[in-house]
Amino acid sequence: MEVRLEDVWFSYDGRRYVLRSVNVEFKGRGLHVVMGPNGSGKTTLLKIVSLIYKPTRGSVVVDGRGYWDLGPGERDSIRQHIVYVHDKPIILRGDVWYNVSLGLRLKGSDSYDYLEELVERYGVSELLRSSSRSLSAGQRRLISIIRALALKPRVLVLDEPFNHLDSSRVRMLVEDLTSMAGSSLVVVATHYMVRELMGSATRLYELVDGSLREQG
Amino acid sequence: MLDVVVRSIYISLAATLIAFTLGALISLLMLATPRRLSGLLVGVFDALVGVPTVVVGLVVYMLIHPGGPLGFLKLLYTPTALVVSQSLVALPIVVTLLYRYFEQLWGDVRELVLSLGAPVGKAYLLMLRESPPALIAVYLIAFSRAIGALGAVMVVGGGIEGLTNVMTTAIALEVQVGNYEYALTLGGVLVVLTVGLSLVARAVGGLVWR
Ligand SMILES: Nc1ncnc2c1ncn2[C@@H]1O[C@H](COP(=O)(O)OP(=O)(O)O)[C@@H](O)[C@H]1O
Ligand SMILES: [Mg+2]
Repeated sequence: MEVRLEDVWFSYDGRRYVLRSVNVEFKGRGLHVVMGPNGSGKTTLLKIVSLIYKPTRGSVVVDGRGYWDLGPGERDSIRQHIVYVHDKPIILRGDVWYNVSLGLRLKGSDSYDYLEELVERYGVSELLRSSSRSLSAGQRRLISIIRALALKPRVLVLDEPFNHLDSSRVRMLVEDLTSMAGSSLVVVATHYMVRELMGSATRLYELVDGSLREQG
Repeated sequence: MLDVVVRSIYISLAATLIAFTLGALISLLMLATPRRLSGLLVGVFDALVGVPTVVVGLVVYMLIHPGGPLGFLKLLYTPTALVVSQSLVALPIVVTLLYRYFEQLWGDVRELVLSLGAPVGKAYLLMLRESPPALIAVYLIAFSRAIGALGAVMVVGGGIEGLTNVMTTAIALEVQVGNYEYALTLGGVLVVLTVGLSLVARAVGGLVWR
């Protein structure tokens, strides 16, 4: 799946523009990394790419069609391939298993093999029956990442996914994202340099004051 | 004394049921209205939370006293008048608590559902699944408000023995005639009830903020 932003502007309050004329094309596969300091607009940009926010001006073109001009049915059928992982994980009441399997359940899928593999690999098997209330920040993040990876989406967008993760999990995640990027589009935003990631990135971008620039 | 306690509880339960149902409807409607208007409304309900209950009683009295617009219903000094007044006392807190809770919850589940590539409609299901502990907590808080509404029940109920005398009015009346032991016992029951309920509400509500 290909996502293209054309002259995208975004403002939360109608006065100050957080994104100013962003033009970028994410081809169907590869690992794209967006860097930029706090408040530079990374989260806003990623939510626009994930079709969660509608740009104030400009268009989001998915596989050649302007997404926000489509009807609700067509939008849903495009959106089902795009998954976004929040900067601040959203975890619901219930146990860990309920939360990691939520994505699959919402899709009506009942093939849990890959999910179970991920749970094992990221070392959260012991947690599955614990209440989601008593999780650490790192555990909450792992859950939101596993929940997304389990869906094997065509487009996976991750907002600051490395925060609170230990170094072995960071390495693991970079490996998984790199191998996913062979067949899917993966977009990652981070405010700090993650060495392992830089080596595997297909493209690097820098967001400064709402303008996106591609790096070397 | 037992009859006073039982009457208090069932009148307050009925009042809370009305306040809760009405408050839930109002807060859901407010969610569906434009932000500017709902912000204004929540401000109004916030202010109403602090209105002394005796003022609420006075307003209801004006409506239902024999010369009032609803005088023909002959509600003054009946248990129904108590139910109505107490539910009005409890309504604002129900609206403000539920509105804030629903607003935050809806924001979260909507984003979650969208982020996982599922249709927004699924967010309603998740909202239903998430909310029971919060609803119970709000219900108990509203009940505490209702059962402690002395001013309102004094004005519209008059504390008539065997009919509209509830815990708060009984305490006030017994103190006046020097029956301190009775008043203190009832006061104790009332404190145990409201404090107990607010502890339960806290515990249940704690489940909400996972
Ligand atoms: N919900 C919001 N309402 C108003 N302003 C917001 C909101 N979210 C972010 N902003 C503002 O938009 C700017 C960019 O924020 P964000 O996209 O979160 O940046 P980053 O993810 O790079 O830290 C910041 O100045 C921030 O204060
Ligand atoms: Mg951010």
